[in-house]
Amino acid sequence: MLFSSITFLFYFLPVVLVLYYLIPAKGKNIVLLIASLVFYAWGEPVYVVLMILSICLNYFCGREIQAREDDPRRAKRSIIFAVVINILILGFFKYYGFVLNTVSDLFSVNIPYRELPLPVGISFYTFQAMSYVIDIYRKKITAQKNILLFALYICMFPKLIAGPIVRYEDIEQQLAARKLSVSRIGQGSRYFILGLAKKAVLANTAGAVFEQISAGPAAGMSVLTAWIGCISYAFQIYFDFSGYSDMAVGLGKMFGFEFRRNFDYPYTATSITDFWRRWHISLSTWFRDYVYIPLGGNQCSPARNVLNLMIVWTLIGMWHGAAWNFIVWGVYYGIILVMEKYVWGVFLDELPRIVTRIYTGILVLVGWVFFFSPSLGYSVRYLLAMIGAGAGFADAEGGFLLLTHWLLYLLAALCSGTAGIRLFRALTGIPSNRKVRSAVEAAAYIVIFFISTAFLVTDTFHPFLYFRF
Amino acid sequence: MKQVGQHAAAAAKYIISVLTAGYIALLLLFVGVSGQPFEEVSGAVSAAVDTEHLSGQDSMALKRDFGLNSAEFSGVLYYASAVSAEEVLLIQVADDSQISQVTDALEEHVEKRLEEFSGYMPEQAALLENAGQSVRGDYIFFVVSQDADQYMKVFADSL
Repeated sequence: MLFSSITFLFYFLPVVLVLYYLIPAKGKNIVLLIASLVFYAWGEPVYVVLMILSICLNYFCGREIQAREDDPRRAKRSIIFAVVINILILGFFKYYGFVLNTVSDLFSVNIPYRELPLPVGISFYTFQAMSYVIDIYRKKITAQKNILLFALYICMFPKLIAGPIVRYEDIEQQLAARKLSVSRIGQGSRYFILGLAKKAVLANTAGAVFEQISAGPAAGMSVLTAWIGCISYAFQIYFDFSGYSDMAVGLGKMFGFEFRRNFDYPYTATSITDFWRRWHISLSTWFRDYVYIPLGGNQCSPARNVLNLMIVWTLIGMWHGAAWNFIVWGVYYGIILVMEKYVWGVFLDELPRIVTRIYTGILVLVGWVFFFSPSLGYSVRYLLAMIGAGAGFADAEGGFLLLTHWLLYLLAALCSGTAGIRLFRALTGIPSNRKVRSAVEAAAYIVIFFISTAFLVTDTFHPFLYFRF
Repeated sequence: MKQVGQHAAAAAKYIISVLTAGYIALLLLFVGVSGQPFEEVSGAVSAAVDTEHLSGQDSMALKRDFGLNSAEFSGVLYYASAVSAEEVLLIQVADDSQISQVTDALEEHVEKRLEEFSGYMPEQAALLENAGQSVRGDYIFFVVSQDADQYMKVFADSL
């Protein structure tokens, strides 16, 4: 079930909200847990069993590690077991086909195997579970004794399928007791509606442009068309994922939970280092805390630090998909981050912000070419088209798409930074009377909601891109 | 007390690990597909189709009958009858996220057809109620026929 589907918006969410608020406080967690399992099972009736097994496994691993807190040697064995099992489960579903295909290609053999579809959200809930058991081992948190509360932490539907990756310490108190209020529902609704608009209006429209351009061969693209395609994808993936994250944060608020934001206007970044402090924040901080720092982080020699960075970024690339282009994407960013840290970072600080934003934008766009390409060969052909080795500078397709979608790109550009929300607040803040101002703001959100719903109803099926991770 | 809890947790984690491994094995057996190309699977299904009563349909028919756009999928094979509810549909999705879109469309299609056939052709309505449907990997197979079980077996064996 998608957040941006009619079934969710007009059936599932209203029913769950009504039940949640009618049920006394003691029963709210159960309602939310059952709703979350139904939400997941709706799209993954087979894999809901796998998620339940993962919940039970990590619950008992956490209890065991906690019970061994006075015995570091045995606690270490327990945490190793827990992490290895989680990685084996995740690795099997994500990578065993890729590994077998790579071995087959390398040795010119054909190793037959049976494929399984990737369980939706497995990367997210497995990473959450790993952060939980590792934090118990590190004595940052104590194990949750109530398996239902733990299950709710793992599978809470607002953040189950595409994050954010929530740390247990951020939610522990809220599981036991949280504030519910009309104003929180209001705040949550605002986040949700804006997230829905990002997805339904901006991401899906930009995605349609990208699909049209990428349907043709890369070598036959003009510079204009190739850049429009790449920029369209950049907008699609940002508004798709940040829109989903906003909806998740909004839904969390509606149920009384506060999740940390997952995006901080990444396309306004002034360096790649800055970009990765703003993009998919929960993932980059997860790798920082559970991979980079344990490897030594930057508390080591420069050579070792470079190795640590390259390991982390290769893994981040692999997390995004079992294909060589994702690994190349991760390595690409690893190299740039190393360069910014040790070579040209100091010079970036001296440059005007507009220059560093253009520098960052170009590098990010090049990165997206690796990300969206079905193969490395395609990414090379696409990049060559972007610099003029395709079919000339401009063509009819590129011109047509630019002329017919200029408003989309203007809106997308405004909403990529704070200008969009500032303009919205300025317009809705025009009335001097506070009550009128509130009414205008509410009406604006309602209009945005209905426009988004209209886009959804008339659009073809567009799942969230990050679902496949 | 702590030791008892520790041992219980340890035993539980091993049992669940074994259950998980067993569950994955079951998934591989009953849900996994061998990565057969569409041509092989559709060839096997086509060879089993009763072409006396069913004829091959085009993308317009798929759009009309199911609301699905064949260009969005990696492969489509559709046979239907002009005079009965019998039909055979094989789709290979391009992306796993399309699976729910297709299964939702199949559900709506069956409901619509049941409304059409109930009352004046009850034996056709009965076929619809016993329609076969299978999702294996990125393949979705749907059949309305008195030989639905045989078609399902052909599909399963072709993977």
